[in-house]
Amino acid sequence: MIDSDSVKNLAGHPFDRRDFLKVLGWGGAAAALSGCGNTSIEDGKETVVSYVEAKDYVIPGVAVYFNSTCAQCDAGCSITGKIREGRVLKLEGNPESPINKGRLCGLGQAAVQHHYNPDRVREPLLRNGDKGEAISWEKAYALINEKLAGVKGEEIALVSGDVSGHQKVLLGNYMDSLGSKNHFVYEAVSPAVVRAANLKFYGVEMPRYRIDKAKVVLSFGADFLGTWVSPVHFAQQYAAFRKGVDGQRGVLIQAESKMTLTGANADRWLAVRPGTEGILALGIINALGVATGDVAELVKDYDKVRVSRETGVEPSNIDKIAAILKLRSPSLVLVGSAAEGYQHGLQNAAAINLLNQVLGNVGKTIEAPVSVPFPQMAPAKGKTAALKDLNDDLAAGKYKVLFNVATNPVFTAPASYKFRDNMAKAGFKVAFAHYLDETALQADLVLPLDSEMEDWGTHVPEYLADTVQINIQQPLMERLHANTRGFGDILLALVKQRRAEEYKAFDDYYGYLRSAVLQNKAALGGAGSDDDTFWNDTLSNGIVKLSGASGALSLKVDVSGLKLPTPKEIDEQYPMNLIPAVTSNLRDGRHTNQPWIQESPDPLTTIVWDSWVEMHPKMALQLGIVEGDIVKVTSKTGSVSAQVYLFPGIHPDAVSIPIGRGHDAMGRYAKGYGVNPFEIMDAVFESATGELAMHETRVNITKTGQRVIVVKDEGPAGGRQMGRKIAARMSTDQVDLSKEV
Amino acid sequence: MSVTNLLDNWAAVRHFHPIDDKPHDPYKWAMAIDLDACIGCNACAVACYAENNLPVVGREKFKHGQVMHWMRIERYWDEDGRDYPDQGFQFLPMMCQQCEAAPCETVCPVGATNHTQDGLNSQIYNRCIGSRYCSANCPFKVRYFNWYDYPTTENVWPAEMNYQLNPDVTVRGKGVMEKCTFCVQRLRAAEVTAKGEGRIVREGEVQTACQQSCPTGAISFGNLVDPESRVHKQWQAQQVDLDKDMQEKNQKEGGSDLRGYRILEELRSYPSVMYLERVRESAV
Ligand code: SF4
Ligand code: SF4
Ligand code: SF4
Repeated sequence: MIDSDSVKNLAGHPFDRRDFLKVLGWGGAAAALSGCGNTSIEDGKETVVSYVEAKDYVIPGVAVYFNSTCAQCDAGCSITGKIREGRVLKLEGNPESPINKGRLCGLGQAAVQHHYNPDRVREPLLRNGDKGEAISWEKAYALINEKLAGVKGEEIALVSGDVSGHQKVLLGNYMDSLGSKNHFVYEAVSPAVVRAANLKFYGVEMPRYRIDKAKVVLSFGADFLGTWVSPVHFAQQYAAFRKGVDGQRGVLIQAESKMTLTGANADRWLAVRPGTEGILALGIINALGVATGDVAELVKDYDKVRVSRETGVEPSNIDKIAAILKLRSPSLVLVGSAAEGYQHGLQNAAAINLLNQVLGNVGKTIEAPVSVPFPQMAPAKGKTAALKDLNDDLAAGKYKVLFNVATNPVFTAPASYKFRDNMAKAGFKVAFAHYLDETALQADLVLPLDSEMEDWGTHVPEYLADTVQINIQQPLMERLHANTRGFGDILLALVKQRRAEEYKAFDDYYGYLRSAVLQNKAALGGAGSDDDTFWNDTLSNGIVKLSGASGALSLKVDVSGLKLPTPKEIDEQYPMNLIPAVTSNLRDGRHTNQPWIQESPDPLTTIVWDSWVEMHPKMALQLGIVEGDIVKVTSKTGSVSAQVYLFPGIHPDAVSIPIGRGHDAMGRYAKGYGVNPFEIMDAVFESATGELAMHETRVNITKTGQRVIVVKDEGPAGGRQMGRKIAARMSTDQVDLSKEV
Repeated sequence: MSVTNLLDNWAAVRHFHPIDDKPHDPYKWAMAIDLDACIGCNACAVACYAENNLPVVGREKFKHGQVMHWMRIERYWDEDGRDYPDQGFQFLPMMCQQCEAAPCETVCPVGATNHTQDGLNSQIYNRCIGSRYCSANCPFKVRYFNWYDYPTTENVWPAEMNYQLNPDVTVRGKGVMEKCTFCVQRLRAAEVTAKGEGRIVREGEVQTACQQSCPTGAISFGNLVDPESRVHKQWQAQQVDLDKDMQEKNQKEGGSDLRGYRILEELRSYPSVMYLERVRESAV
């Protein structure tokens, strides 16, 4: 709570307003701060009552609803929690958010199981041998202070996932106070190469894609319906796209080596030889025959015959695609993880982006993003290269203290990194954790975090649909366990150890956040309303919308550096490509301990509770493998064994294992189910960006002689309808959609 | 006795809605699912777990077919021997079709499953004796039996997880049958509120949990006898009639260019769920 004395003290200090802005997250702001925005702090009228204490609205049997933000991924969907008798029961989408417009994905639905998870860490734990001993928060903070004493800034590192909003501000200020620049932002699954390609080509990392305005979408492995960037938002655009522009239903073509959820919804799905996505793109440009100058020169050798030979896509399909792209404009070409996961990932992505320029889509279905006026709060976006750098530094013994904010690199680093061993070289390791996952188990001190439904925060999503939005995260109920703490609260306590003066006005993160929002009230649309009203409105809306400027994209067509390698010869020893699949349920495996996620069938294979090796039936026949055979998948790095599932939606040269299972820690619903493909992933990197080339691992398959029953939801008839009209289908020439309701 | 005779006799004694002199009034809950919009993402199914207190059975019991998902996404691919499913898969959300003449009802020895006034197939848990005849007789295989006492089974709802249980929905014990209810607890709440205000439930006032979550809006739900409801309009535009076992539009030469159909309609269970056929582009 902010007591008026401390505020007066603060106000009485030689007080640098610029620094103060930085403390609260509005430093470098492009949106104006009103002079009177921070009266409440300066005149000390502030009293903060955390709303979780106010219980007078609780009527037994009647639900109340609070708005907050989904934290299961970084898309930033807004949620409305249904609360009864003080317990959160169910989440719905908040209809007011332009991102998810009232909808949620399955992962978002399962967030309540994160909150109520029986395996959450409940006490600060200090390592004692191989056990964790519960200690008090005072002791934990004191210990951190003690361990930091005499340690230089460059000897301290922090690794986190994507982070934005005021948590990012505090995190930044804390690192600053430690004199450390070593904040590694790491996401195991992130479109970092696509961002780099976009930046070069469009001048921005993430433009706005308008699937809903496109008549044809050609996607090279971008699983925008399942896992890519902002899936709920894109799913809604997709629904509009299928209804059609001017009554003409949108056509989706998906080219990838392993079918994704998006691929499963395509009008035409093309099995592309792994790594040749860029070649296919140049082949289509060639077939279009409209390119001029440099571009024409670049594609002139990519004739159908060659492209078909190299990519495995039939020449007739290349013609058909070129024809429909020419006929129906505007279209939209997307590039996703399947294309970026190679050594030449950036080249692949560049070749694919080029198609958008040739087709004239830029500015029509690809728009400039809205820019966030508060740079301190804009999201820091994770990269896999960050983990590589951190790992190298750790191996060199550079760090004495390592903070890990709820990331799990011991689970998601390729085995050859030896991350676990390298992490041990850091003298003192602090993990902010929800679960005792593989990485938290290696820490010396574990700080138990509040669930996202107990915590305060602000989030600015990377992909903004419409306007700039600052999403509010607020507790939907009181904390379940007395000794967990909010991420912001922990940061505040830590930063106070360094900069007591600047932060002493804030007793807790709630107070900080409230002051921060009110200080900038006018710029946030609250000019004229009093503080309490504005704050309450902000919380009840769950979103602060700002109109952000969105300029034009500055297209830069420079094909001089664009060169695609000829497809690799098949390696006799490791003849298959390993595709570590990102699935909509599991993503990077941080939610595997939510039982609804484990029991929710994989949309494509319908498998539950286990990993599988996806293999084309033709290849399986050749190798004498049937469904349920346990096979050993061996790469240069190592091997894992898992059950085979025969799946026609994969190129015969490839096998696929999903990411996210194979935990040997974390909790009862995750531990011991399945295998982890990161254990056999070779450390190969995208050559321009240094990102991990996740699709470059080559493997061989051997039978182990064991066979199991695959646990799946498919039903005895497999994928077949046995001649009944169950899931029926028409083609566009049979149906007139324009008459429909 | 021939099968035709059997069916004729059955139809004569069978009580089902709407019967001519007693149409559904004021409610007949029904659904329309657009398979061209459905992407097979499973969000609806997870939302159903959250809303309806469905137990997670775990790998072993799943293997034995004891999964309790009231809503499942069936997935099909082409059967014509092509190398690849190169026109994608077909996804089909499948749950109780709330049949108007439900085959599950007639075989229940204790009358635990019945047709309600507002057009649902209800399940009375504390009357159910677990004979499982209903499940055997359901053409859609959407009934799920509690082989175990899930509330007391390890790791189904361990401490804290049980806090999430929806107090508006019974937690079922061992030995009873269960299935999709069209989120009857939401319907009843809306009906009671509306009645208190002297009106009927308005279009959009109540949503099922699956419908509410669905990212593409593939599911529409509402009162089929309310001419203002989207479901009513959709059924009408698609020329699908609730109490027909064969739609007129399909008897025309060359079939129909409308997408609406009901699954296994010819079995004369008169399902309350209409599906709209998936569409695939003919030009690519
Ligand atoms: S896409 Fe799903 S998990 Fe991600 S924020 Fe939206 S609802 Fe949450
Ligand atoms: S779908 Fe099956 S369970 Fe539902 S009403 Fe029809 S017969 Fe009964
Ligand atoms: S949520 Fe909607 S799109 Fe997803 S599977 Fe269910 S009906 Fe289909």
